[in-house]
Amino acid sequence: MIRKLLVAMPLAAVMVTSAYAEQTPGDVLRGLIDRTQSPYLTQSPQNVQMIDDSPAIWTGYEGGDLFKAPRGPNNVSMESCDFGKGPGVVKGAAVELPRYFADTNKVMDLEGRIVHCMTTVQGFAKDDPAVRTRHGSNSDMMKIMTYIAMESNGMPWNPPLSHPLEVAMRDAGEEMFFRRQGLMDFSCATCHGPDASHKRIRASVMSSSSVPSDWTKSISWPAFRVGQQHARSPQNRVRGCYWQMRTGQIRQDSDAMMAILSYWTDAARGQPAILPDMKR
Amino acid sequence: MLMKKSRFAAGLAAVAAIALLAGCAGGTDTAASADAKPDYTKMTSKELADHLIFNGGFNLAHETQEGTTVAARMTQDNIQKMCTESRNKPTPEQVGKIVAEARASIKYPEGGIKLGDWKKGRDLAWSGFGYRAGHNNDNHASREVGANCYNCHQIGTDRTGGNFGPSLTGYGKTRGNTEGTRKFVYEVIYNAHSYFPCTIMPRMGYSGMLKEESISHVMAYLLDPESPVNK
Repeated sequence: MIRKLLVAMPLAAVMVTSAYAEQTPGDVLRGLIDRTQSPYLTQSPQNVQMIDDSPAIWTGYEGGDLFKAPRGPNNVSMESCDFGKGPGVVKGAAVELPRYFADTNKVMDLEGRIVHCMTTVQGFAKDDPAVRTRHGSNSDMMKIMTYIAMESNGMPWNPPLSHPLEVAMRDAGEEMFFRRQGLMDFSCATCHGPDASHKRIRASVMSSSSVPSDWTKSISWPAFRVGQQHARSPQNRVRGCYWQMRTGQIRQDSDAMMAILSYWTDAARGQPAILPDMKR
Repeated sequence: MLMKKSRFAAGLAAVAAIALLAGCAGGTDTAASADAKPDYTKMTSKELADHLIFNGGFNLAHETQEGTTVAARMTQDNIQKMCTESRNKPTPEQVGKIVAEARASIKYPEGGIKLGDWKKGRDLAWSGFGYRAGHNNDNHASREVGANCYNCHQIGTDRTGGNFGPSLTGYGKTRGNTEGTRKFVYEVIYNAHSYFPCTIMPRMGYSGMLKEESISHVMAYLLDPESPVNK
């Protein structure tokens, strides 16, 4: 009985708050623009117009169906999984990740937590295409991730720093952010450090991790990338950055990835998430 | 390098010992004891960052276009280390070391520094192709490696360049195409830390990204009186 109630409660919450009853990602973005007039946020009027019709919103709706459907060898839904705020709670979960999870003794992000849920609760094998295929709007991963993220739209980023591992990972992520390396001597800070705010790479205006009201848009993933016509994840963005920096590939789900994500989320603390966002 | 490595090794040994102890005492928590990870909370943030990068964080064995591996790319040299430590604001002592090392690194073309073809230089200045490695590898057999100039510099007036670096529009017109200018431009392209310690400008010659001939074309684009940059 209690178990049934636990499952039913978050479901009811989802039904009430879905479809952006309060505000859309576009509302959040326009709110930030009204407040800051930032040249980073306003650089693409087309994107500001299109965000309300973002295909990623549909990706998220499909994810909601997948989330609630009994799936995998165990034929259960994802509604008993813990994304940091208790079993089945998705509202506000994405803005409080990465965080420490006692069941794995690790700091994990949303993507890693979805994998954990699919493999432990639903019983999918790690190499099952449902788990292994991580990229593209047609993947289960991007659908489910976008659904969970949408349930944090407009909420302030608030990754917990109460566990010592959360602090250690965040601080290591900052070290990585400023670490110069590779063939071009770049660090993340070369383009996104304190000196880079509102400078341009060709025509693109840059955001800085030291300007949280810009930075929140930079880290608001999943986002629909217009140039790629797909919803993309935070990990996909980090991978692309290191590729552009001419280092080599940062590994999916690695602790190095968690460190970077811990730092970048902390840097947007307090600013509203735009989920899903739309980017060039 | 040696200093850093041994310090790092000592730190690692210490945390490994702690992890072992914790693992023995842990008992039933399989997740914690199965992978004998060091205790991240006992490391400095720099030690942890290095540990994460070199222990599973990157695809270190991946082969790169320059014939090394990602491990080599992720290993910092002296200049990268000093600029990281100082967050690009080197102490006077570091400035001396960086400038001296950068100057010593510069190799000059046999027969003097000459200008190539400004048209080729224009294409190279615009192109950002080359040396990207990972989920996609830039195939250097398919295209010439670009010089990436426009990402940070305005150069010609026909295209929009970035503004991380200074505008180079009219560069040759204002500086003149003298031997002194050519030497300066060559040295900045080859290793800009020789004049601007901890600059964000990549060491395009030193890193091997731009070969001698490519540098000559880019220089022509900047300095040749016939180049549209100087019209």
